[in-house]
Amino acid sequence: MMPITILVGALGGDGGGVLCDWIVAAAQSQGLAVQATQIPGVAQRTGATTYYLEVMPAPAAGPSVLALNPAIGEVDVALATELLEAGRMIFNGFITPDRTTLIASTHRVLAIGERMAMGDGSFDVGRLLRAVKERSKQQVLFDMDQAAEESGGVINAVLLGALAGSGRLPIPDAAFEAAIRHGGKAVDTNLAAFAFGRGHARGELAQVVREHRKRQAAAQGLEDLLARARRSYPAPALDVIEEGMRRLTAYQHRWYAEWYLNRLDTVHALGSTELLRETARHLAVRMSFEDVIRVAQAKTSSERLARVRAEVRAKDGEPIEITEHFKPGIEEIAAILPPTWAKRLLAWGERSGRTGKTYFSMHLRSTTVFGFLRLRLVAGLQSYRPNTYRFAEEQAEIDRWLEQIRTAGRTNVGLAREIAECARLIKGYGDTYKRGLANYRRITAAVIEPALARRMTPRAAVDAVAGARVAALVDPEGETLSKTLASIAAAVPSLRHAAE
Amino acid sequence: MLDQPAAQLPVAQRTNPERSFAEEVRALRLGDGDVFRGEGILAVTKAILQSGVAYVGGYQGAPVSHLVDVLVESQDLLDELGVHLETCTNEASAAALLGASINYPLRGCVTWKSIVGTNVAADALSNLASPGVIGGALIVVGEDYGEGASIIQERAHAYALKSSVWLLDPRPNLPSIVRCTEKAFELSEATNTPVMMELRIRACHVTGEFLAKNNKPPPVSRNRRLAEPAAHDYARISHPPSTYVQEKIKVEVRQPAAQRFIVEHGLNEFLPGERSDLGIIVQGGITNVLLRGLDRLEIEGKVPTLVLNVTHPLVPDQIVDFCKGKRAVLVVEEGGPDYIEQAIHAILRKRNIDTKVYGKDVLPMAGEYTAEVVTDGLLKFFAQSANDIDLAKPRERFEAARAGRAEAQRLLGGPLPLRPPGFCVGCPERPVFSAIKLLEREVGKVHISSDIGCHSFATLAPFNLGNSILGFGMSLAAAGAVAPVMQKRTISVMGDGGFWHNGLLSGVASAMFNRGDRVLVIMQNGYTSATGAQFIPNTSGNRCDGETTSDIAATLKAMGVKWLRTIRTYNVGTMLTTLREAMSSDDKGLKVIVADGECQLARQRRIRPQVAAQLKRGERVVRTRFGVDDEVCTGDHSCIRLSGCPSLVVKPSPDPLRSDPVAHVNNGCVGCGLCGEVADAAVLCPSFYKADIVQNATWWDRVKWRFRMAVIGALA
Repeated sequence: MMPITILVGALGGDGGGVLCDWIVAAAQSQGLAVQATQIPGVAQRTGATTYYLEVMPAPAAGPSVLALNPAIGEVDVALATELLEAGRMIFNGFITPDRTTLIASTHRVLAIGERMAMGDGSFDVGRLLRAVKERSKQQVLFDMDQAAEESGGVINAVLLGALAGSGRLPIPDAAFEAAIRHGGKAVDTNLAAFAFGRGHARGELAQVVREHRKRQAAAQGLEDLLARARRSYPAPALDVIEEGMRRLTAYQHRWYAEWYLNRLDTVHALGSTELLRETARHLAVRMSFEDVIRVAQAKTSSERLARVRAEVRAKDGEPIEITEHFKPGIEEIAAILPPTWAKRLLAWGERSGRTGKTYFSMHLRSTTVFGFLRLRLVAGLQSYRPNTYRFAEEQAEIDRWLEQIRTAGRTNVGLAREIAECARLIKGYGDTYKRGLANYRRITAAVIEPALARRMTPRAAVDAVAGARVAALVDPEGETLSKTLASIAAAVPSLRHAAE
Repeated sequence: MLDQPAAQLPVAQRTNPERSFAEEVRALRLGDGDVFRGEGILAVTKAILQSGVAYVGGYQGAPVSHLVDVLVESQDLLDELGVHLETCTNEASAAALLGASINYPLRGCVTWKSIVGTNVAADALSNLASPGVIGGALIVVGEDYGEGASIIQERAHAYALKSSVWLLDPRPNLPSIVRCTEKAFELSEATNTPVMMELRIRACHVTGEFLAKNNKPPPVSRNRRLAEPAAHDYARISHPPSTYVQEKIKVEVRQPAAQRFIVEHGLNEFLPGERSDLGIIVQGGITNVLLRGLDRLEIEGKVPTLVLNVTHPLVPDQIVDFCKGKRAVLVVEEGGPDYIEQAIHAILRKRNIDTKVYGKDVLPMAGEYTAEVVTDGLLKFFAQSANDIDLAKPRERFEAARAGRAEAQRLLGGPLPLRPPGFCVGCPERPVFSAIKLLEREVGKVHISSDIGCHSFATLAPFNLGNSILGFGMSLAAAGAVAPVMQKRTISVMGDGGFWHNGLLSGVASAMFNRGDRVLVIMQNGYTSATGAQFIPNTSGNRCDGETTSDIAATLKAMGVKWLRTIRTYNVGTMLTTLREAMSSDDKGLKVIVADGECQLARQRRIRPQVAAQLKRGERVVRTRFGVDDEVCTGDHSCIRLSGCPSLVVKPSPDPLRSDPVAHVNNGCVGCGLCGEVADAAVLCPSFYKADIVQNATWWDRVKWRFRMAVIGALA
């Protein structure tokens, strides 16, 4: 008689140890020989933890020798509190299509490597789900994190419920519930979570998947402009363009949205819908660049307070105090001055070595009348923004960028799209913004301009720009970008000097 | 500067917050006929009480921390039995504790994590083993080897060999572990030799049951004291000329006695099998993996097996009897060097027995003996030694499983993102490394000498700070010869646990003595947090009273440290200025920064119930947490690269035009304020906000709130 083997993959804080205690207690109550052991890792400190259990399918006479290590291809039930951990057990060969029932939560808790990426560093969930479906015999999959939240319990109890619901163990529900009661901690919520998990496993409960909602900008008085857009642009690009118009109107003014359309016309003329759509997306983002005025606009918008209250889970009637912190430096101040003054200030900053050193740290309570008023006044500078130094600079940058796109677009649409994509690099505030812009300029000098001057084959040009852009997003120190630019230069003899 | 976490206790008032072991303590009180249920290491704890120990000691470390932790909570039981408990400040003092058994008929047990702990204990161990003991002396070592191990991979076996200490490696099931524990004391007394019992990680945590016995009060104990000390006996002192005699006694008297005892008490097990021409000799601790492996090959019970629950000394006659007349024998011995295999070769050679011995030629020299590794080795062994056994089908299954794994890995396009351990939410040590990262932006890379403890997680993502780890409390000493050749000063990081374990003397005293121009950062969180938040001398007293034993700053002053600063860790700005000062000051001596911040796990365990009670009583409680304005965040994640807080995550951007995910503070946030501090100190971005939620608001709170909302609503 061989034991039923159970492998558990969890994260610190998921309560994997308690889950094992419950299973062991439930099995013992049925007179089944059971053994559990664990590799706690550095549990409560974000590490992954694994647990391994063996349960005899029926009461045995003598003592049975149970193993302490899981074996590849010999796991009957795999439990995972998170999708990547399920993937890990598959990756390590424990979960197999001929044998394993996989009971896993579909939610993701991103690992540090995924979170610290400068763009989107998360592992392809599609791949994970495909592996989960193809590499296991049966699956019980749902968002147990959400289920735990909805039931008011903890994820390990949901998982236990799902295990009971799967019917893979010769242990009645009552025995599991008794184990939870015997545990004596948060019994009611755990029982609720258990019932929830069991219901999902048996298909008695359906889960309303929380889909992620995008927030559209709101703006009135654009009907005629929207009509113009619908007349002149292909449908696939419209959603982006309309959002762009709304955003720019809210950000600045109706005329700004009109300018947006005029700029797009010149790209539309190139005749590629994808190019139009991508450029429209980035152009809207670039034209609504982040300055203190926009930040003040965002932080004083009418929906914001409600949003914060929801996020920090403030109950109705609970007053909250919000403290914002700003730390403008010389550059941020120069940004909202008229160009002539701004240039003087910046020059002084350089001379005196204060740029990048002197900052004004302020912690502003936006829920007080006075604090809110100050933010409101800054937001009120909106109409004055076109006279600022930063505005002038940004428009010039944008025009150069559009010009590159147009030049490329006439002969090499692929290249034009890659150049448009490079706008991704320019984002954020302070150092992040400066780094992004600097990287963008390096790529322009070392790759884009030579490409536009036809010093590379069209194919090579596309790859080079794409490669450089990706490299720029690998590390903040820009080492990868330097290497990539060097190798591009090496590949194209006529570029050597450009890379230096 | 942002507000700091409320309810932060000064270090002298921090008390051990480890969860209660009430359940485990009850298990220790079980008597004759009761069924004990629990983990392996708790079973050992029960077994030593059943064996009548007079004293117990140890130094915490996975996987054996529980032994002492549980006893700390069992003071009443210990008082009844008269057992003395010593929570030692390092393994050397734990080993020295066994000195009581040299002169007195006292059974004693100490425990620590091996190999590191055994290294620290080595000196006392040699000096204990040489004169030997008259009271049973047991050392329970947690063999932290293989998957999940947190230290260098070496075997405790070498120490047993060089110091002539007997080594038990019991089969990993509770009855066997308990029997070995009880027999260990008898063996120790029958041979006047300390006995070591090694338990691997999985064995310490394995669940099971055994029939309990009554606990035995020791005949001599703190409840039944001796009137007179032992008579002076030079033979019991490890000092020449005694040492020469003792060396001879070890090999001429004690070892033969041990070998007799092992046979007479059947400590090693013989599992019969019909294939008399074959045999397997296995370490007790690996038995289950082996038997399941044979099962997998459908030949379980076919091959005679000798299970060595005692791996030192071996009993030559037993080995010979087992191997005689066999064509081939496989030695299954985890890790290297292959001490047992070599010994068996020598034994057989001396007796001119030509049985072919397989071992490290079919099994790997390094690494854990997992199910896969052992199965692979068995297949090779039988292929070479007994090709008449048809293993085609099982081999096929095994290869299929491996092929399946390859397929799965292709499908996933791996490797999958790793989950290295990191600092907990709100950890007080994280801000120090944020500050060091900011310092490096100014002065460039600095040589950082790391240490053992939670802070060693800084060597991993996202900080990746640290050039070396030389052992517990060794970080300052490890910079001794680096500092002189560096243009910039070196920074050594040490926890308060490491400071008391070893850093005080090996590090500080030596650096002072040699006028070391170095920077030392001591993380003062009040506990040895990485091992489960045990007491240390600067915690509020110990389990006995509320008096704090020793204060770190006072100790350093007394040792003559001139440049000394104590900084609240969460003030990243202040921490940065202080580090800058330490790196540039004209002071040529040792510069010490005591980075003070209570372990956040401890703090949460303490205040959560308090806050819950306050809320219940309807008292006003302000809950602080942080958030990110997803409209303002542009998804660069510098904040994450400078913090790595588990509650600082990413979520899809709400912006229809942006693809990069934005930063998000989830509800795990405990409001430590670091993300705000970092955003401020590093001039990141204005996305972060701090929210103070007033629970059980007073009428004045409400009035204020309504008024503000009215006005703001009108302005917006």
